[in-house]
Amino acid sequence: MGKDVLVFGEIRNGELKKVVKELIAAAAVITGETGGAVDAVLVGAGAEKEASGISGYGLRKIAVVDDDAVADYSSEGYAAVLASLVGEEGYGYVLMGATSMGRDLGPRAAARVDGVMFSDCVEVRIDGGALVARRPVYSGKLFVELTPEGDGPVFISIRPNNIAPAGESGGSSEIAAKPSGVDRAAIRAIVSEIIPLAGGRPDVTEADVIVSGGRAMKEESNFRMLEKLADLFGGAVGASRAAVDAGYAEQPIQVGQTGKVVNPKLYIACGISGAIQHLAGMRTSKVIVAINKDASAPIFEKAHYGIVGDLFEVVPILTEELEKMLQ
Amino acid sequence: MKIIVLLKRVPDTEAKILINQDGNGIREDGVKFIINTYDEYGIEEGLRLKEKVGGDSKVTAVCAGPEESTEVIRTALAMGVDDAVHICDPALAKPSPFTIAEVLAKAISEEGFDIIFCGKQGIDDDMAQTQSILAEKLDIPQVNNATVFELADDLSKAVLNRRIEGGDEKVEASLPVIISCEKGLNDPRYASLPGIMKAKKKEIRVKNLADLGFNEAPSSGRSRVLKWLPMPKGGECKMVEAEETVDAVKELARLLREEAKVV
Amino acid sequence: MTVQGIVLLVLFVAVLVVFGFIVRMLIRTLKLGKPEDRSGNIGQRINSVLVYVAAQARVLSQPAGLGHFLIFWGFIFITLGTIEHIVGMIVPGVSYTAVFGPVVAGVISWFQDILAFLVLLAIIVSLFRRFVLKPVRLKIDDPGARQEALFILTLISALVLLMFGIKGAGILMGKVDPAYAPVSSFVAGLLQGRGLDLHMFENVLAWTHHLIVFFFLLYVPYSKHIHILGAIPNIYLRNLGPAGTLSRMDFEDESAEKFGNSEIRDFTWKQLLDLYACTECGRCQAACPAYLTEKPLSPFNMIHRMRAHLMDERGKLLKGQDGEKGETGAEGVEGTPIIPETMTTDEIWACTTCGACMQECPPFIEHVQKIVDLRRYLVMTESNFPQEMQAVFRNMEVNYNPWSIGFSTRADWAEGMDVPIASEKKEFDVLFWTGCAGSFDARGQSVMKAVVELFGKADVDFAILGVEEMCCGETARRMGNEYLAQTLIDGNIDVLKKYSFKKIVTACPHCFNTFKVEYPQFGFEAEVMHHSEFLLDLLEEGRLKAGKIESTRGTYHDSCYLGRYNDILDQPRSILNQVSGVEITEMGRSGKRSFCCGAGGGRMWMEEDIGRRINEERVSETTKLGVDTIFAACPYCITMFEDGLKAGEIENVRVRDIAEVLLESID
Repeated sequence: MGKDVLVFGEIRNGELKKVVKELIAAAAVITGETGGAVDAVLVGAGAEKEASGISGYGLRKIAVVDDDAVADYSSEGYAAVLASLVGEEGYGYVLMGATSMGRDLGPRAAARVDGVMFSDCVEVRIDGGALVARRPVYSGKLFVELTPEGDGPVFISIRPNNIAPAGESGGSSEIAAKPSGVDRAAIRAIVSEIIPLAGGRPDVTEADVIVSGGRAMKEESNFRMLEKLADLFGGAVGASRAAVDAGYAEQPIQVGQTGKVVNPKLYIACGISGAIQHLAGMRTSKVIVAINKDASAPIFEKAHYGIVGDLFEVVPILTEELEKMLQ
Repeated sequence: MKIIVLLKRVPDTEAKILINQDGNGIREDGVKFIINTYDEYGIEEGLRLKEKVGGDSKVTAVCAGPEESTEVIRTALAMGVDDAVHICDPALAKPSPFTIAEVLAKAISEEGFDIIFCGKQGIDDDMAQTQSILAEKLDIPQVNNATVFELADDLSKAVLNRRIEGGDEKVEASLPVIISCEKGLNDPRYASLPGIMKAKKKEIRVKNLADLGFNEAPSSGRSRVLKWLPMPKGGECKMVEAEETVDAVKELARLLREEAKVV
Repeated sequence: MTVQGIVLLVLFVAVLVVFGFIVRMLIRTLKLGKPEDRSGNIGQRINSVLVYVAAQARVLSQPAGLGHFLIFWGFIFITLGTIEHIVGMIVPGVSYTAVFGPVVAGVISWFQDILAFLVLLAIIVSLFRRFVLKPVRLKIDDPGARQEALFILTLISALVLLMFGIKGAGILMGKVDPAYAPVSSFVAGLLQGRGLDLHMFENVLAWTHHLIVFFFLLYVPYSKHIHILGAIPNIYLRNLGPAGTLSRMDFEDESAEKFGNSEIRDFTWKQLLDLYACTECGRCQAACPAYLTEKPLSPFNMIHRMRAHLMDERGKLLKGQDGEKGETGAEGVEGTPIIPETMTTDEIWACTTCGACMQECPPFIEHVQKIVDLRRYLVMTESNFPQEMQAVFRNMEVNYNPWSIGFSTRADWAEGMDVPIASEKKEFDVLFWTGCAGSFDARGQSVMKAVVELFGKADVDFAILGVEEMCCGETARRMGNEYLAQTLIDGNIDVLKKYSFKKIVTACPHCFNTFKVEYPQFGFEAEVMHHSEFLLDLLEEGRLKAGKIESTRGTYHDSCYLGRYNDILDQPRSILNQVSGVEITEMGRSGKRSFCCGAGGGRMWMEEDIGRRINEERVSETTKLGVDTIFAACPYCITMFEDGLKAGEIENVRVRDIAEVLLESID
């Protein structure tokens, strides 16, 4: 197995994903032990432009692959590019973000080069010469630490926002354009269009972040405040049954036993007391934040973080603080 | 049209997942097992496709898993799946996605297929790999995380939406194809009682590795679990307090970023 | 015998023969239904007829029932007179005076006169009610039903007036003794001296009267007055068992393609007899929480339309029948589905199974079973039900509770409370059944904790099943998922049989009813007590002594499955009365006539998006009393009240379980 690491520089909408710098940092953890080099590959429209953005981040070289066949993402085309690079350069590790692209591409590329893959990792390290990847299982109820067996290259997808991104380390990387070698006609699944979310917000059942309001929202227009907070994350706005009954919100966003059952990474309950009807719809959320005036509200029994206070005061400050963080 | 739906037996989402005494897996006592929830979208989509295409279309469920998987296979049959192949072999205990994909590829090839539906990931190991590896082994296109599925009238290609960050990719894929299903694709049906009764008589073909022509479990893509770790999380709600609301909220924001890592 | 006598005889016999054929057809129609055993208990059944037919006990439970009482008895006497007159016309000289003597005949005549007069008054009041006052209970969408009611009332009035004319003329001709006919005497006075040919006059009136009677006889079976034929047998055959028991389905036949009822033949003959028995009094709808909150369901309308449906269907269905042998061989004839033409799914799902309709119904029609039978078909055969129910079923299948909370956490509420678990204790006096709401809902849990604390104070030897407990099956059963319900019931029985205990105590009326009256269908019998009964026993035995709480003015809400279905009315009130500081004001609708909170029949887990909210309706009834506390003895009721109070933004009213109050008074 090789000791060099290849970072897949994911490009979406012509821009390099933020996670790529985090991958570079993770790669450095590996090469810090193995002594290998870290390379990157950028594929698709915008690759060349974006490559310069990570030159000097400790990368030895950056391959830029941008021709007609790979201008848009396809699992087949991109897997072919990765496979040929791994074949040519003998990479031991390929890192990518655990994004919709990384999760789609990684296993296919790994299978093509007879490698192995660990998805959705939150930590990678070298332990006694062997790679150890930590990843959550059972919807985050446990972690496992895995190590590869066999000689194949190891593909690892890493969850965004888990590792501090690499900073500029001076110097520059060798940027080289490379043909994809892919025959466009041979690609059987083609992306024809990217459809942004209707109204800019995902459905509550599909959102990673949900900001929900209860009867304490007092009126419909106050939900704008929750939308503002949700929009920071590209999240959705939800409502308790009481809020829907009171006419503050529409039924399709009702969360609970008789509404939608949701399972986001972050659920912010604003002015929701937490009756079982509501809890039944959101209690499996990974992180629950409760904002309520009443310290004895049952929502606090299920929440991970709670603030006793007036939501009309708390929510705007929280929005402001998080906005600063996300910038 | 030959439709394959893949299923996996997994612990219920509500199950208490605890590490077993040997520290090499989870405790299965007191854990209720169900069909992987995302696979249900696949079953539903397969059944709808069969209803739409009609003719001699057939939906076959393929499940690799322990003997106890029969129960979830019967559930799929009760929903309306025509028959099932159950790949069951002691050598397949705790398999990697690569092993399973190779075995599934063999079984599915034997069955013949035009379209394969499965869940976007198993809610047990959450790997989300098997379908893409399977696509590679079968040399067919893949579409992951489908939220919309339509088949062209001439049955030659599928038009799908696939969920990505902040929107959907519209994808056109030629058949045969494997599609992994995301929540929102459909609302899986509730098996009717006549369906449940009929399911008891439907055929489940049990195959072991030898039946599929393997001498031993395929060894590609092997890995080893070194350690199982509990999620470090206190059960209690952390009440964020400060004299000034502003400070409490600032602290909350910090915790969300640094401790909960959700920002 | 006169020519006129012969003509009348022939006509009379012909009418009787045709009527006989109609009755035979009605009976053959009943036989289209499935078998059901309503035999036995003859003494009790005869007693029912005496109380509910002769004495009209249920009819008279409302003031307007007096009209029916009068019409009922008036008509019995009028009919006696009609028979006498017809026979007298056929065989001149035959009369009650001739057969029974003047006194008996006189008494009959006197009653006839007085009652017939009262009938007239009753009809005037009825018309006034129906067309001027228009009470809720007489509202019906079908204009035909109103026209029919008017037509029948007109016919009855005509018959009564004609009778007075005949008797009046009879007095003048010396055929009727005026001493026993006060009203007719008055009529005779009006007729006197008008130069009428009395004989001809009487004859014309008599023929008109008798022809109307004949017409009536043949018309009745096709009108709502079929209840004259149907109600008495229906009361005789009424359900003598607990009203809160649904029929048990058999799932042995694995080749069955259909479960539950979709067409009229799927109902039992007794359920079809119910359709004959309806008087269209509408008392059911006036008590129905769904109807009164503007939902499409009306039990009145349901029976009305099902009867019309039966009448439409029977010709087709009876055609396939072998008339000679009277066998129901209508196989191969497609029955028309009841849904959606006759009943809509919105109606079927609107029912809370509260049983108020059955409680009110004078001829003892059983509405709830019919609705559940229709639900069974929708759920089990068609998988056609409101989308939110699927999660409930799935949760019950996987985690044995409606909320999808892991079953392994079922006993978590008891953590740190030293609550004995059956699997460790094995033998104990009381099995405390916590139920799903008690196990998982924070509000329900606090009631369970109060009960457990009271048990501790009274030194009760008890245990809970803990994680071995599953949903009792009540909700699934009432939602029409009998298969799931039986899975849960069988599972629970297997667990219960492992332990030795004397009685089951539960704080949930739904669990209570199910264990008490439904588990015996599945071979499990035990003494089952609601916590109000058990706690009262503890108080009476002196094992608990109620104390004092801060002065509170409250009202007690009777849970349907506790009060109406199981007659537990006094026990919770007695407990509250023993707590000093508690003052109870009763609501207008209380006791067996309590108004549902809206949660029964699986409604707890369904959206209520048609009409007004039942719980809010009930809350407004309590707030009118100006109380500060609503006392309840059911976790569903408590939830519905609390939600209703929140919706009405009423902050100064609390909802408390009797156990919580009792505990507070002791602490």
